[in-house]
Amino acid sequence: MSRSLSDCILKSSLGFAALLSGSVIVAVIAFLFHEAWPALSSGKLSHFLTDLKWQPGSDRDPQYGIAPMILASILVTLLASLIAIPLGVGGAIFQQFYAPTFLGNIHDRLLELLAGIPSVIFGFWGLTVLVPAINKWHPPGQSLLAAALVLALMILPTVGLTSRSAIRSLDPGLLQGAAALGIGRPSMILRVILPAAFQGIGSGCLLAIARAVGETLAVVMVCGNIAQIPHSVFDPVRPITSTIALEMGYASSDHRALLYASGLILVVMTGALVGWQSFRREPLTPSQKG
Amino acid sequence: MDSLSISDLTIRYGNFTAVKEVSLEVPSGEITALVGPSGCGKSTFLASLNRLTDLTPGCLADGKILLGEDGCILRSGIDVLQLRRRIGMVFQKPNPFPQSISRNFEIPLREHGIPKSEVDDRTETALRDVGLWDEVSERLDQSALNLSGGQQQRLCIARALALDPQVILFDEPCSALDPLASAVVEDHIAALRGKVTVIIVTHNLAQARRIADSTAVFWIRNGAGTIVEHGPTKTIFSAPKDPDASYYLSGERG
Amino acid sequence: MRNGRPSDILLGGLCALAALTGVGALFWIIADLLQLGLPQISIGFLTGEVTESGRSGGIGPILVSTALILLSALVVAVPLGVGCALWFSEMIPEENRGGQLLTASIDLLASVPSIVFGLFGMVFFCQVLGLGFSILSGGLTLGCMILPIMIRTTISAMRAIPCELRPAAAALGLTQTTTLGKVLLPRAVPGILVGITIGVARALSETAALIFTSGYATRWPGSLSDSGRAVSVHIYDLAMNIPNGSARASASALVLLLLILTINLAASFFSDRWLAKQSASCSTLNG
Repeated sequence: MSRSLSDCILKSSLGFAALLSGSVIVAVIAFLFHEAWPALSSGKLSHFLTDLKWQPGSDRDPQYGIAPMILASILVTLLASLIAIPLGVGGAIFQQFYAPTFLGNIHDRLLELLAGIPSVIFGFWGLTVLVPAINKWHPPGQSLLAAALVLALMILPTVGLTSRSAIRSLDPGLLQGAAALGIGRPSMILRVILPAAFQGIGSGCLLAIARAVGETLAVVMVCGNIAQIPHSVFDPVRPITSTIALEMGYASSDHRALLYASGLILVVMTGALVGWQSFRREPLTPSQKG
Repeated sequence: MDSLSISDLTIRYGNFTAVKEVSLEVPSGEITALVGPSGCGKSTFLASLNRLTDLTPGCLADGKILLGEDGCILRSGIDVLQLRRRIGMVFQKPNPFPQSISRNFEIPLREHGIPKSEVDDRTETALRDVGLWDEVSERLDQSALNLSGGQQQRLCIARALALDPQVILFDEPCSALDPLASAVVEDHIAALRGKVTVIIVTHNLAQARRIADSTAVFWIRNGAGTIVEHGPTKTIFSAPKDPDASYYLSGERG
Repeated sequence: MRNGRPSDILLGGLCALAALTGVGALFWIIADLLQLGLPQISIGFLTGEVTESGRSGGIGPILVSTALILLSALVVAVPLGVGCALWFSEMIPEENRGGQLLTASIDLLASVPSIVFGLFGMVFFCQVLGLGFSILSGGLTLGCMILPIMIRTTISAMRAIPCELRPAAAALGLTQTTTLGKVLLPRAVPGILVGITIGVARALSETAALIFTSGYATRWPGSLSDSGRAVSVHIYDLAMNIPNGSARASASALVLLLLILTINLAASFFSDRWLAKQSASCSTLNG
């Protein structure tokens, strides 16, 4: 209960700040909807989602199929995850079970440094180093593979740091019990520790994947920017984020509305991933009773 | 059932001596209780018997621990994983793997080379030995964490028994349990007499009186833990010779 | 053999390789940047004007624009974020529906990709509010992005304050304003500073949200309504659109990394001080 004028003012102003803060996401979604409405209400939505050609610039017959971009986003994310998750978890296992503690801590610091590198620098490095290297192997260089590799490097720290944290927070009694049963190190890690840390590691992976889906800069610089369905990892692709980034500058009404609709799709995808992650944390695991 | 012969065992953590020059004969098939106030090195002593002390960096054990007819288990080059199959351990806080009940048995059994065909039989036998079979036979695929505290502890005992050990070490197995569950677990430990050599650390003096054939009393002397009195339980409790042991045992607040 | 040495060596070796990959990539990237960009860095580079679309000259105006963008972001995000956090942690009970709604909305806001913020900023700040492509538009957009960071770090800073202080202040008849202003907030300040540094580091790294909001201009900015580009956007432009821009891009990248590294070190410094302060005051409470 406020007992003075200053308290009343305090409560109102803080409440106002909270209201304003909470409304930002509402405003974001509302404006996205507003700009995307021409596309959403045109009745061509199903075409939009499933058509395979994207040629909005064509005057005679503009094509607006976003399916190749959705597919590209999914493929790039999937490939990046397949690379980053084993590397991240493997690194965490090395830190916890095979390396001395000080080395493990240094590794954490280095991963944090890696995590701090802005995406534009990853993209720049990918463009100047990775793409030419892939080009030598199999042209053109700018490709699904390049995008996946760069993205994998970007999400590796998230997976590694959360995995190590999850393993460390396991009950030490678990390790002691496994050791007392004469279970050797590799079996202990693979059959006891990893299943027990599964939830924590899984959270880290979901967060990493959500970040990968929304990542724009690094990917747009190395993916080749051709809106097509790739036939191999060496083909150029164009995920949703890159499409928005590249075409927003010159898109006109219909085209622009579709780009905003793509933005909405992105919000749905990342929101769903993050929502799933927090939902997994909610139901409490059955604790030891009695 | 193997006997254990410990002589002049000293355990150090860096500069700190936790246990100093302890000697103890543990007859095969009997239940030996280790009692004494907290901090006297009982648990450290116990953990050295299956070389679980190796897990703590900087922990060094000197002396002799002879297991059955084999030599000293402290020597280097010994297969520690095989040792821990022969000497099992049950901890104060029940620690089943957070997986299904059947996986709790499958993992250690397969690890020690027991063929798949035998795993189910051994699981059932072990669960019957601790009186859990009727309670869990319908839900072997469910998580072991769904069991009550007492059930989980019996599961841990069964898990150790499934490996056919010669010795089982118990580190205050009942202190985390409610009195009813504690009584059930205690009965099953007592039933192991004659089948397995049992060493049990306990704060509960009444429990030691009830189930132990021999008792050893730990005390701090000169800053390190050591055994000040040892012998048949009846004798120890009725006519202790050491003044500190006598003082502790007469407390009988267990 | 399951627990024989060979399987242990195999697993250990594979995991070591995995660990080395991350570390190796880090060193590789930094080495490449140093090789290409270090020779380009000089005082002239840091203060000079942008010439030849960035192929020569310096990044002076860009650094100023970046600072202005950050400042605009902070001026919005810090008061709003701290105010919101204080409302959440001090003014309402745990189970309050409004609080739960707020948590959900902030979590959702935190998950929005940066390019979508760019879309929003372009519509809302540039068009609807009429700010056009300007430093202010970019700053306000970034402010929205770092708002969740400010809120979350402030809430945990408030949570770290021992509970006993609040009833103690109430028992002394202090108003909530005084309690907050003189007792609680001073204790939370280091934690809030940590939040600000994290937010700044995040904002510095941001590119996608700025491309459509703050513009591309490379002149010295005259005011907040001028268009201006941040360092990250400059790197993007040099890499994608300017042939032979790699050397300058590397140099700019090094400057950006140095800025971020300094800020992260500042964050660790503040959080160390914070933790030290916490333990010191707890002992005086008990002592």
